[in-house]
Amino acid sequence: MKRVIERLLNLLAFLLTTGRPVSAEEIRMTVAGYDHDNDEAFRRMFERDKDLLRNMGIPLEMRPTDAWEVEFGYVVPRDEYELPDPGLTDEERAALWLSAQVVRLGGQPSGPEALLKLGGGAMSGAGEPLAADLGQSATSLAVVFQAVTDRKVLAFDYRGRARRVYPYGLLHRRGHWYLVAAEGGEVRAYRIDRGSKYSAEGSAGAFERPAGFRLRDALPSLPWQAGEEDLEAVVRFDPEVAWWARRQLAEPAIEQPDGGLEARIHVANPAAFVGWLLAFEDRAEIIGPDLLRSQLLDLVRGGSDE
Amino acid sequence: MSKTAKRLTRILSMVPWVIAHQGASVGDVCERFGYTERELLEDLNLVFVCGLPGYGPGDLMVAYVENDEVIVDMAEYFSRPFRLTPAEALGLLASGSALISTSQAPEVLEQAVGKLASALGIDPDEAIVVDLAGEPPLVRVLRQGVTESRVVELTYTSLGKGETRHRLVEPWSVFSTLGNWYLSGFCRTAGGERVFRVDRIQHAQLTDQSFAPPLEPPPPEVRYTPSEDDVRATIELGERARWVAEYYPVEVLSDSGSEMVIEFSAGDASVAARLLLRLGADARLVAGVETEAALQDLRTRILARYQSQ
Repeated sequence: MKRVIERLLNLLAFLLTTGRPVSAEEIRMTVAGYDHDNDEAFRRMFERDKDLLRNMGIPLEMRPTDAWEVEFGYVVPRDEYELPDPGLTDEERAALWLSAQVVRLGGQPSGPEALLKLGGGAMSGAGEPLAADLGQSATSLAVVFQAVTDRKVLAFDYRGRARRVYPYGLLHRRGHWYLVAAEGGEVRAYRIDRGSKYSAEGSAGAFERPAGFRLRDALPSLPWQAGEEDLEAVVRFDPEVAWWARRQLAEPAIEQPDGGLEARIHVANPAAFVGWLLAFEDRAEIIGPDLLRSQLLDLVRGGSDE
Repeated sequence: MSKTAKRLTRILSMVPWVIAHQGASVGDVCERFGYTERELLEDLNLVFVCGLPGYGPGDLMVAYVENDEVIVDMAEYFSRPFRLTPAEALGLLASGSALISTSQAPEVLEQAVGKLASALGIDPDEAIVVDLAGEPPLVRVLRQGVTESRVVELTYTSLGKGETRHRLVEPWSVFSTLGNWYLSGFCRTAGGERVFRVDRIQHAQLTDQSFAPPLEPPPPEVRYTPSEDDVRATIELGERARWVAEYYPVEVLSDSGSEMVIEFSAGDASVAARLLLRLGADARLVAGVETEAALQDLRTRILARYQSQ
């Protein structure tokens, strides 16, 4: 491993300082550690080195060596290589480390590499007995996140159709990751785990977010508020479940003489709303509109003849 | 990440820091970058023989220890660490903003996330927002039970029979996953390990009984841990109901790619009954006498309520 690391340090030092793209042949002849005699041995070694650096996230790029774009060479642009200094204090680094241990992405706490780059520090402590997992699709998420921060066009498949969108932001709510993006001028939310084949296209800075855009407001916070319909449901909750309804409702509800509640609830997604209301069993009733009443009753009657 | 990549990352992080903090002590560098003294010396010796083409005395980097001070020089091109990968940046920002959204975070974390985001050229309000399920009020008292190793008494009201029940639980951890908050612990009433959804608990009260927490508490996750007295049901899920297998702790019995058969287990048959009702035509009860009865009972009660007017 020692010789591999020496070779990689030499290669990086060279590519960071040449200031011009250099061909594989020039690298082979110039950088210490490469095989001069055997073409095939060199080629394999150089491929492995490139993969390793790129997997680490080092921007090893190919650019034309001349204006005619006949030949291409390698370069590591220094401004893209270097991490801008956020100026973190030791205390702030420790707080970041701790939060990354407590709140996990895809079931795994983050490794120490990111913190090392930010200047290391005391990476110990198990944290509070609070833990949260932000879900599974860490690989797709990283691709989407990069497109969001670079403001590149994002392509992906969603509900059987190929999409090309301006990715405005990434939002985690109620256990799911959403991409908020503009597709053909319309801003909407896509559930990341329902899409596939995410990839960024074209160059950075492809779009600007509209003035006053706030990601937090781009997705309703309750599931039945996200949809196409525009209904107002009137629901009666019995006294036994009033505490539970009150905990979950966005709108204020009117307390009844018997301790129950009557609530007027804005419903944009009837299926989500009816599903939620069934958790109250027979302790809640949709008073109106009839459309929602019958949607609930259809579900309840649904399989009773099976 | 390979061992080589890890070692290279550490070198490319340590070198810039030492350049910016000339004369830092061996102990400080070791603690900061998780080195043993021997590992640090090995890496410095390695840096010492690398540099720019020519590879003569004026081309190689300088790296050594003198009087317990770490010196690195002639390495201007490595004066900054390399950028975070998207996954690393996302991991730090997402976990930071998640914690901030629970109002449990110290102020220093907010500063840290703010500084990191602006160094990465990100406006947190525009690019990434993480709302952990709004922390239910009970989380605070449950967490206190965990920290102080005190038994908590939980109160439930079962909707079907309308009766109030109590449980004594030794709380191990409070956590949030898939949008819900959970309490895991040993349920003294049931005599076994249990996971409870916090939003279904009506009241929680600290008792003055203490308990010895397990030496290694199981990881905070919703696992499939059926016990003797649980009610089990075999359920077939259609394509549109596959989310159930992710959302609830279940055992997957078979999976054709479209249809999926699961075993569902809960302390009360009404849990599976409510789920089946809600899924409608997207799910089918394959086996489970008690669940079947609970489902029929549920249908009857709801229909009765809606027809009584």
